[in-house]
Amino acid sequence: MSTGEIAIRIKNVGHQFGEAGEARHVRALTDTSLDVVRGELLCLIGPSGCGKSTLLNVIGGLLAPTGGTVEVAGKPVRGPMPGDIAYVFQESALFPWNTVDENIRLGMRFQGVPKSEHAGRAEKSLEAVGLAEFADHYPGQLSGGMRQRAALARALALQTGILLMDEPFGALDEQTRMILGEDLSVLLARTEKTIVFVTHSLGEAVFLADRVAVFSARPGTVKKLIRVDEPHPRNPAFVTSEKFTALRNELYDLLHDEIRAAVASEAPRRRRGANGGAP
Amino acid sequence: MTSIRSSGVATTARPRAGEDPVLSSPLDSRLRGNERIKAARTFLLRHPGIVRLGAVVVILLVWEIAARFFMDPMFISPPSRVFASLGRVLHTAGVPDALQLTFFELAVGFAIAVAIGLPLGLAIGLQPFARRSLMPIVLLVYGMPKITILPLFILFFGIGPESKIAFGVAHGVFPIIITIVAGVQNLKPILLVSARSMGASRWQMLRWVIFPHMIPSFFAGMRLGMSGVLLGVLLAELYVSTAGIGYFTTMFTENFQPTKLFGLIAMLAAMAIALNEMVRRAEHRFNRWR
Ligand SMILES: Nc1ncnc2c1ncn2[C@@H]1O[C@H](COP(=O)(O)OP(=O)(O)OP(=O)(O)O)[C@@H](O)[C@H]1O
Ligand SMILES: [Mg+2]
Repeated sequence: MSTGEIAIRIKNVGHQFGEAGEARHVRALTDTSLDVVRGELLCLIGPSGCGKSTLLNVIGGLLAPTGGTVEVAGKPVRGPMPGDIAYVFQESALFPWNTVDENIRLGMRFQGVPKSEHAGRAEKSLEAVGLAEFADHYPGQLSGGMRQRAALARALALQTGILLMDEPFGALDEQTRMILGEDLSVLLARTEKTIVFVTHSLGEAVFLADRVAVFSARPGTVKKLIRVDEPHPRNPAFVTSEKFTALRNELYDLLHDEIRAAVASEAPRRRRGANGGAP
Repeated sequence: MTSIRSSGVATTARPRAGEDPVLSSPLDSRLRGNERIKAARTFLLRHPGIVRLGAVVVILLVWEIAARFFMDPMFISPPSRVFASLGRVLHTAGVPDALQLTFFELAVGFAIAVAIGLPLGLAIGLQPFARRSLMPIVLLVYGMPKITILPLFILFFGIGPESKIAFGVAHGVFPIIITIVAGVQNLKPILLVSARSMGASRWQMLRWVIFPHMIPSFFAGMRLGMSGVLLGVLLAELYVSTAGIGYFTTMFTENFQPTKLFGLIAMLAAMAIALNEMVRRAEHRFNRWR
């Protein structure tokens, strides 16, 4: 897969929130370079607050970085590119006043899909996530897992080459998460999508990813890239294999030091916060 | 769970059915009384309308008795007589015109209050800078008793319907702005971000994200605005009495005609309730997803 063409080129991207000296000044991300290959699933994993969401927002054009550039399909990213990139967020970003079906159609309307294609595409994407029977339910009537599947269906209906997923299963229980991971792997094997997937779960990263980018503590940057050579769709048996365990342990060792470092750097911040500083 | 409970009922029911004088002790009958009270309570809790109706009947009854036997008929009139007089009030020369005029002032005032309050509320609510700079002014003017500057309204807008409408707007527009601003602010930012990521234009975000989110606070604002306009219009009418309901309430009061006064107020209340109910019905239609 390393020989494939580059879907997303991240060059020396850094981002800081606020200006130096301000109370809310945070250097979230520093000098990050990374190429995402077309059709691969790249997992971003790292300590909390190391800038994974920031990087995803930069790729998606929702945030202009203070340094570096991102190219998608050869074009520099300057704002949202709804034709190329779809998003699935951690919390439910479905519109609560619309049914699942209406949500999917609304996404297509925003993206500019001709109306004649709405019904067919909505139906297909709902079937792909196994929610066909719940098309007319409101998000409030669905379970957390179903809501995230609906959000995924909305993103799939946009038929973009790239899918950015920020801890999409983060709020779900371990079992639901595993099932959704398996389904996603199946889906991935069928489509040619490039996926960047943020997760905190080591197991999820190894199970889903073609490559895992391990981030250092804030200001974050890619510390190491780990390859997972295992074809999609991944078999549930993969989870119990030695290869899986070895990769998972390798990730754990890499992360462990960074999380310690992150927690250590949090401590003085927290004390300052207690004196009425930045939250 | 259910099986345990039903078998429990069966055992307590047995002595009741099997008329055994020894077993149906006073304790048992008290228990049965408790059960009846409990059943009545659950019935009432399921039908709040009955309690509401009861409360209104009690109030009317107290009023009727007080007005008939204890109070000076110059100052108060029993509800029975008020209702009986409704037709007469309606046929008093000038009253139909007054009702019409007040209703017109209300409608125009309300339309203007919404037309100003809605866009202003959205503009202030959607922009943090506007909120920080302008919101304190809105709250200040909202909190100010506007009755103190009613003479200014008369000065600017004359003694005709214009000043009543303007004063109604002054009362109605601020609750609308404040509710809309509060409503905009509890919109989850992720919904706007996700709409933007899917390519929504500014107009599309307004139409498909902000508006649907605003519907509950929009209706809340409409209702508060409506009562504000009603208050403003009537206050102005009471102050400068040349026409409208306010004119007649002043006249009936000064001529000691409480029956007609209350009749007029009853009509006014009916008007307010009808308007409120219309807003509520419309609101209900938009809130299917809740
Ligand atoms: N809008 C913002 N303003 C100021 N600081 C921000 C903002 N958004 C994020 N940050 C800061 O930037 C840093 C990185 O945030 P980011 O959300 O990218 O972390 P993350 O790696 O996604 O963390 P997590 O795994 O907990 O989601 C954090 O320290 C956060 O406090
Ligand atoms: Mg994050």
